[in-house]
Amino acid sequence: MSTYHLQVVSMDGDVFEGEVQKILLRTIDGDVEILARHTDYCTAIGMGTARVTMEDGTVRKAACIGGMLSVLNGAVRVLPTTWEWSEEIDIERAKAAKAKAEERLKDQQLDKEARIRAEAKLYRALVRIGTHGQNEKFGNE
Amino acid sequence: MAGSMKAVKLRIKSVQSTMQITKAMQLVAASKLRKAKERADASKPYLETMLSTLTDIANSNNDFQSPFTKATDNDKWLYVVIAGDRGLAGGYNSNLFKFMEHETKGRSDITVLPIGKKSVEYFKHRHVPLFTEEYAEVAKVNVSDCFQIAKLICDAYSSGKFGHIFLCYTNFISMLSQVPTASSLLPLSDLKTNEGKTDGKARELILYEPDSETVFNAVVPEYLAGILYTSINISYASELAARRTAMEAATDNAEEMIETLSLNYNRARQASITQEITEIVAGAES
Repeated sequence: MSTYHLQVVSMDGDVFEGEVQKILLRTIDGDVEILARHTDYCTAIGMGTARVTMEDGTVRKAACIGGMLSVLNGAVRVLPTTWEWSEEIDIERAKAAKAKAEERLKDQQLDKEARIRAEAKLYRALVRIGTHGQNEKFGNE
Repeated sequence: MAGSMKAVKLRIKSVQSTMQITKAMQLVAASKLRKAKERADASKPYLETMLSTLTDIANSNNDFQSPFTKATDNDKWLYVVIAGDRGLAGGYNSNLFKFMEHETKGRSDITVLPIGKKSVEYFKHRHVPLFTEEYAEVAKVNVSDCFQIAKLICDAYSSGKFGHIFLCYTNFISMLSQVPTASSLLPLSDLKTNEGKTDGKARELILYEPDSETVFNAVVPEYLAGILYTSINISYASELAARRTAMEAATDNAEEMIETLSLNYNRARQASITQEITEIVAGAES
């Protein structure tokens, strides 16, 4: 399978650069998979698990939240707000964040802004938990 | 003679205590700098890639449905100015403000969103209208604050309050050199470079999904937040580097002063002893 050059740069630094076969990630409009020789393309990334198929066929998973995906003249660039490889995810922290966000959402008097923030927090935690390990309760399957 | 000796001694003491302070500040800045530099270095690639990607898009974008992409004739400017919280950082703050002055020359309708106490103070003093003072302490601004600032800017921009958004910060070149820089944030058409001009040639087409407006509405706040966050990191590293250099110079200067003063002190001491001996000898002879 032909490969292409993928660059993933998150806010926390240079994350990944190399040849890959394909990348699957969740955009605001649903899941998208980019193969080699894709047309010029631009979309915003939603929240979900990204699957990167490396040159040798191995698949790496990562929690990928926010940012943008752009394909320009064959250069594929993913600029997520957060990008965490599944083996790097701090599962305890994610679980704690999930519990905390759920607790907060129980409060009926929560104003709109805070509710949106708590919901986003919960969603992020769920994506991390879903990406971590093999339980695919919240994955792309 | 004895009087001047005392005066010199007092002066030495005062210079010494100042030196202690500058030395301590230098050490503190140096140790904080290492961490800040790591953070700035880590976020630099994101800033560069984001800017180059958006410049590419601005160059080849012909789809002007999103308010964020099209050029406006609205001549109201918003400047986001990132300065430090504290002084004693050499020319860090004043260089940035000088640069700002030069940058805004000829533009009357400007508003400033200051980040950092020094920035708030400066623009208040100048009676420049401030957009918000909420983010006065640059050391306390975190990622979620950046998202909030980005949202504020986006809302104000799309409601037509401002026509151009500009960012002023201090770029970290090396430990010894930090340069004030300005970059355009919105509209994206301001990012256009001339090299990408396609005169009559087939224009590149980019596929936006679901459509360009939705994409830009989702991406622009993230892009602003990302750029703000990284520039704050870089500015903070610059501030510490500037402070370290300034304090190092101050410490060296104090050392030099103490050396000259002790020389003067010893000379005065020697002179008073010589005089005493002369007096005793003269007294014995008579």
